Amino acid sequence: MMAYAYESPNEKAISGALTLVMHLMFFALLVFGVSWQKREAPPLVAELWSNLPAPKPAPPPPTVEPKPVPKAEPMPPPKVEPKPVPKVETKPPPKADIAAEEKKEKERKAKEKELAEKKKREERELAEKKKKEEQARLAALKQQQAKEAAEQLAREQDEALKKIAQSQAAAQARLVDEYKRRIADRIRRFIIEPPGLQGNPEVEFDVVVLPGGEVLDVRNRKASGQAPWDSAVERAIRRAQPLPLPPPESGLMREFRELNLKFRPKE
Amino acid sequence: MNPTVTHDMSVLSLVTGASVLVQIVMLILVLASLLSWYHIFLKMFSLSRAARLADEFERKFWSGTALTDLYQRSVEKRHSVGSLERIFESGFREFVKLRKPDMDVANVMDGVRRAMRATYQREMDWLESYLPFLASVGSVSPYIGLFGTVWGIMNSFRSLANVAQATLGAVAPGIAEALIATAMGLFAAIPAVIAYNRFAGDINRFSTRCESFMAEFSNILQRQAH
Repeated sequence: MMAYAYESPNEKAISGALTLVMHLMFFALLVFGVSWQKREAPPLVAELWSNLPAPKPAPPPPTVEPKPVPKAEPMPPPKVEPKPVPKVETKPPPKADIAAEEKKEKERKAKEKELAEKKKREERELAEKKKKEEQARLAALKQQQAKEAAEQLAREQDEALKKIAQSQAAAQARLVDEYKRRIADRIRRFIIEPPGLQGNPEVEFDVVVLPGGEVLDVRNRKASGQAPWDSAVERAIRRAQPLPLPPPESGLMREFRELNLKFRPKE
Repeated sequence: MNPTVTHDMSVLSLVTGASVLVQIVMLILVLASLLSWYHIFLKMFSLSRAARLADEFERKFWSGTALTDLYQRSVEKRHSVGSLERIFESGFREFVKLRKPDMDVANVMDGVRRAMRATYQREMDWLESYLPFLASVGSVSPYIGLFGTVWGIMNSFRSLANVAQATLGAVAPGIAEALIATAMGLFAAIPAVIAYNRFAGDINRFSTRCESFMAEFSNILQRQAH
């Protein structure tokens, strides 16, 4: 009947807009503010590939060579020490027996000269010898160091390779184990346990698997001694196909071509 | 088989990943929330306006203005007057119509009271409209959300039966998806309940105010009739 005062189209529009704005804001908050992102890094594969591509160019061997080995001290040429002696002698020249004195003096001088020369020669020889020895020693040292470095490099490379191979093998082994466990789990779910089993007999089967997971052949390798259990397991293996296998690109298929599976009723 | 298992757990993907029934439930809840908020805002505006208009009218009424002037005014702007003024208007009109020399005062007052009560009822009815809707949203939407959750969890358990290994990772996303429905139900319900209680209280107070005005006004009219 009457148009009521408590509501105007204006207010309706405002209410609608407010409602929308509020919801949009809340939604935006939910979407952008709270995103429970859970990224699982695959433990197996990641480790495997991160090591492979660059087998670390073996850290440069500790640079030993350039050690500034004390350069064979080039022995300063031996100085001739006893120089001042003759001068003193010549000073007091008693004029009386100059000739004899002179002669004597000459002789002495010659002797002295000879002596000095000899000494010089000896010393030079010694220095040369020393130099040679030093050089030889240095050469030997250098050679040894080079050899050591080479050895270390080889050892390190070897170790790195071994480590990579180990981690790779470990990862693969883990993957293989994981899939074997999955296969066993899957088969176990299809086992219908026959009644009246005694004890916990273990049966062992060799299963030939096709790449798609189909079971080609099931051979009883070791019977458990209780035929119902054996046949139950065999049926389960056949019913469980396709078996969960690793993806073909993982290159693990050869591990799964022939599986050896063991089952016990109580596990 | 993708080796990198990534659970994208953002809210959006949880909603889009849910099953059809759960999505329908979510849609219902979103609609309920939108509608209830729309009415919450609308009611908030109308109630505050009703209180304001009532204040204005009471001030004018008790300021000593002549009743006929007041009546004239409220008839003129009848489309933008408040409840109190409408009640006054209908009462006064009835009073003017009934007041004849040979009429019994008691009868006149009875008629006036009836007219005022009728208007009062209509006003209250208008103010209380959509309150039941808010009450329903408040009480039912958690159940609707719970239904969606139960359904989603049932589904996620059923799909669990087809997985080789029952890991937590296989169930968790499904349960999270399902729980979104409950969250939405609560999101719709909580404001509705709060608003319902608030508005019910406000309207209650307003109705007492109207009733006391009616009593006072009929006293005044009775005095005038003599």
